[in-house]
Amino acid sequence: MAEDSEQPVVERRGFLPIETNAFDRVFIAVLLFVALHLFWMRLVESILPLGVATVLSLILGAIIVARG
Amino acid sequence: MRSNSVGWLFLAPTLLILFIFGVVPFLYVLVIGFTQWNSFAANPDMQFAGVENFRRLVFDDQFLYSLWLTLKFAFFAVVSEIVLGYFLAQLFMRDFPGKGFFRTIHTLPLVIAPIAVGATWRLLTVPGLGPLPYYLNRWFGYDFNISRYIDQAFFTTVVMDVWHWTPLVTLTLLAALSSLPKEPFEQAQIDGANRFQIFWHITLPLLKPAILATVFIRMMDALRTVDEVWMLTGGGPGAATRYIGLHIWRVVFPKTDYGYGSAMSLITLYLTIVMCWMLYAGLVARRELKRVD
Repeated sequence: MAEDSEQPVVERRGFLPIETNAFDRVFIAVLLFVALHLFWMRLVESILPLGVATVLSLILGAIIVARG
Repeated sequence: MRSNSVGWLFLAPTLLILFIFGVVPFLYVLVIGFTQWNSFAANPDMQFAGVENFRRLVFDDQFLYSLWLTLKFAFFAVVSEIVLGYFLAQLFMRDFPGKGFFRTIHTLPLVIAPIAVGATWRLLTVPGLGPLPYYLNRWFGYDFNISRYIDQAFFTTVVMDVWHWTPLVTLTLLAALSSLPKEPFEQAQIDGANRFQIFWHITLPLLKPAILATVFIRMMDALRTVDEVWMLTGGGPGAATRYIGLHIWRVVFPKTDYGYGSAMSLITLYLTIVMCWMLYAGLVARRELKRVD
């Protein structure tokens, strides 16, 4: 009965160099979101506002979740 | 359905404890990280500050220096512990006179509280009182002074950490070595493999999960080390051993800058997660973990 309710973990190979499941891809997207914002604040914010980093990282995150 | 309910009922106390002591404090720190909250400020109330704390810390040289020192400390400590721990585990796999006694003595540092370890090493190394500077000077003419020389202070903290935590690595790898199957080793010997080939092609791949788990545990511990180093050097000389935990402590408690301290804690947690994940993704082929349903 318990076995019936278990959901199989679906892993696949996208453009990322490792096999990932949905959680992995969301996790990677969140890590990149933070990294990009920190990088932006340190090096780019004097030229472009932080909102650009937010938009870029959301687009990047969506691509990773969909195709990664 | 009934079996699921019973399962959740058994899990409930653990989940509740995890939620109260794990998730709630994390969310609290997360919220504070986005606020300006300092008891000594003109306005001591908590105010929302957006990403201001994070913007401040990417330009904070002291924070970045502490971070660099911590990474250096973690690298030297963890690599030394893994190498030394492996050789000691291999030693304990063999029989020799006094093995039981030596194993007990070797494991003793594990049961000592970190603050006591720091105090012990302080007494060993304090200039003018400790035996280590005295004998190094008397026998080798070496000026050992962790209150003056930054490299000596740094490597003394590394050696102290190695002394304290190598037994954990030894015990973990000893358990892993004991559980390895004998057949691959016997086959390799029959095929004429030398000791290095056996180590590289059989022992190391078989030990990989245990080594990885140990590296995770030790790396996370090394990145948040505070009490031992605080007791031994107090973060000095200057800021030479002010690792990130000590730096955050200074910001949060003596300076009462809770918002900025929380932001630094979050970034430290973030870096720890990133490093562990990269190590995991790099060393473990995901197909090995693929579930067979």
